[in-house]
Amino acid sequence: MARMKFYCDAERCIECNACVTACKNENEVPWGVNRRRVVTIKDGEPGERSLSVACMHCSDAPCIAVCPVDCIYDTLDGVVLHNKDICIGCGYCFYACPFGAPQFPQEGAFGSRGKMDKCTFCAGGPEEDLSAEERRKYGSNRLAEGKLPLCAEMCSTKALLAGDANVIADIYRERVINRGASVLNRGVSYQNAAFRASRGMEGKSSMKK
Amino acid sequence: MIGQLIDGPLWYFSLAVFCLGVLFRFFTILRAGLKPDLAIPRAGGAAGALRNLFTRFVPRRDVATRGRLTLVAGYLFHLGLFALLFFARPHVDFYAERITGFDWPALPYWAFIISAEIAFIGLLLLWLHRLLHPVTRLLSTADDHIGTGLVFLVMLTGCLALAQSFEPLRLLHLFLAELLLIYFPFSSLMHTFTFVFSRGYTGAIMGRKGVNA
Amino acid sequence: MGRVLFPQNVADAMKGGWLFLLCVLMLLLLVTSTAAIGAETAEQAQAIPVPNPSADLWREVRQRDGIVVGKTQVAGVDSGALINPYGETWRNFRMQQLIPYSGYLLVGMLLLLLLFFAIRGKVKVNAGMSDKKLFRYSLYERMIHWFIASVFLFLALTGLILLFGRSLLIPWVGQELFSLLASASKEGHNLFGPVFVVALLLIFIRFVRRNIYQRGDLTWLLKGGGIIGKGHVPSNFFNMGEKSMFWLLVLLGIVIIGSGLILVFPLFGQTRVTMELAHLSHAITTLLMILVIMGHIYIGSVGMEGALDGMTTGYCDLNWAREHHAQWAERCEQEGQVVSEAEVSRLRGESSGGHIPPAGAQESGQ
Repeated sequence: MARMKFYCDAERCIECNACVTACKNENEVPWGVNRRRVVTIKDGEPGERSLSVACMHCSDAPCIAVCPVDCIYDTLDGVVLHNKDICIGCGYCFYACPFGAPQFPQEGAFGSRGKMDKCTFCAGGPEEDLSAEERRKYGSNRLAEGKLPLCAEMCSTKALLAGDANVIADIYRERVINRGASVLNRGVSYQNAAFRASRGMEGKSSMKK
Repeated sequence: MIGQLIDGPLWYFSLAVFCLGVLFRFFTILRAGLKPDLAIPRAGGAAGALRNLFTRFVPRRDVATRGRLTLVAGYLFHLGLFALLFFARPHVDFYAERITGFDWPALPYWAFIISAEIAFIGLLLLWLHRLLHPVTRLLSTADDHIGTGLVFLVMLTGCLALAQSFEPLRLLHLFLAELLLIYFPFSSLMHTFTFVFSRGYTGAIMGRKGVNA
Repeated sequence: MGRVLFPQNVADAMKGGWLFLLCVLMLLLLVTSTAAIGAETAEQAQAIPVPNPSADLWREVRQRDGIVVGKTQVAGVDSGALINPYGETWRNFRMQQLIPYSGYLLVGMLLLLLLFFAIRGKVKVNAGMSDKKLFRYSLYERMIHWFIASVFLFLALTGLILLFGRSLLIPWVGQELFSLLASASKEGHNLFGPVFVVALLLIFIRFVRRNIYQRGDLTWLLKGGGIIGKGHVPSNFFNMGEKSMFWLLVLLGIVIIGSGLILVFPLFGQTRVTMELAHLSHAITTLLMILVIMGHIYIGSVGMEGALDGMTTGYCDLNWAREHHAQWAERCEQEGQVVSEAEVSRLRGESSGGHIPPAGAQESGQ
């Protein structure tokens, strides 16, 4: 089986927040819940980079470990999912998660938490695949349709990659090698190198020269 | 299966028992009649009855100082329970759906929670007072403890079902509320309605005698 | 540059069409020159700084101490923090320390009490129960005691369900049923938390005066409170142990209440790190409190003869008071506050006297 992963290429992310919007629209998440967010480091300074972050679908997920009702689990694809029928909204997964992925709709008074909601890698939940119930609780199940998460699929710069970890790693490795080669051979800046084609050792713009 | 029973037939049954029981109690109270008041009336009774009905909400001073705790706890409990019962959002929705067909402004959720806390503090203190005070302990019958216990359990299960997402917890709350409804007319919980009669009766007698009591 | 130079050399040599020797010479030269060129490229590679912004970025994002907060369009507490490494610390604390060790501690305390009971047995009143009583706790004091007791037991039970449920209860009752129980526990725990605040406040205000340390407490401590050996150590209304328990509970209670309020109202912008710390301190202090209360319940129930009476009826046995709270008993006797058992049962309405008890004796409200 595949081991599903997200990877966000910081050299390519342009902080357009389209992944955030696409996720909200595709999964019809409740108000106040953001399964995905874009964080910009050193905003407005030299070296500014943006990263799109959601649930990382950890192999040894802290949320699975700490959940007091054991409602979070990982699938054979390595996707971390949870069961909203079991969740009690205690917030422990939110404490444990390094990435701030678990979200809680504020249902009650004084910020009391409703049932946890997080990125499902567009893989729905424990309900029957593509059922109405699953759609209502967890949003879309694109994996069952043979598609990848929408955020990554529609990323305009292909900064956000989603899919089998080996494939993602290969793509990214190729990009890194290409960038290093472009910098060394052509003296282009790393920033520009980021957007060159990954075929061969020389990018498009250097061929035009 | 049991859930359907609780949610449907048992609810209507208990509501019917409650309504008919309360009417029956009213009927027996009114049918019992009044002793003829042989004194020459100095004034009408109605004004006295009305005055007494409302002035008795404020305790007499000696009562207020001696039984300060029961007074405070009593008010906390009754006000909290009243707010909780009629103005909590889930309850308003329930009444609108099952009984009235229309709803009314509910308390914001935080006020609902605060009234629940207040009611719990009051109820626990009062129940302990009933159990520990030698006089109230002797005065209390099984009926008092069953009534208090049922109210407490209804409140407790309601609090446990606050997440509003687990059907069995809601059904447990509803089931206990139904038991309470069935028990209500035949117990001292009837004071919810009958306090009007007793205060009115006393007030009317005093009013006719021209006594300001 | 080096690579461009190299074929030029060869081309020149070929063009010349010179002798073989010269060719060999040239080859030698080539070998040396390529070696030199190789060294040159290595030098160049070192000279050209190979930027690695990704490494810089991740170094920036994932620092060893502290959390880097970036900017994000998503509104929410903490949403700018990309990685919060303390989540993993908290996880390890909860899963590897808190759950196992608190389990051992609770079971250990239970075994310890059982062992103590087996060895020491019920601490009897040496002089035997008398027919004289002393008024010890007023109605109000007993009320708030049982009030905080019931609320505490409920909170402890629900808290322990949430802590141990996954490992102990899920195998028994299954996930669905436990989820019900856990949800009920969570909501109940959250709702009764503030009630506990009120209860602890009432207890503190009522009992603080009698719990101030005074002379004689040190000797009580030095003699081990009379646990060891037969003799009893004189003490006032509360002895050193009871006072210490009071203060421990007050201090633990403050931490418990503070951390609990931080956890139960996540709307004051407290970050995850704050809540992790609050959870940690809540867990440790509540565990200590449960352990102390286990001892308290033990002494109050099966551990000591005559200890419970004061909290249920309001009156304690005179001989019990003489042995356990000698100074207080002495003062009461001097002031002539000793009542006979018959009087007590009359006051409590247990005999068929039908008298109305005097108001002052029982209903000393506040």
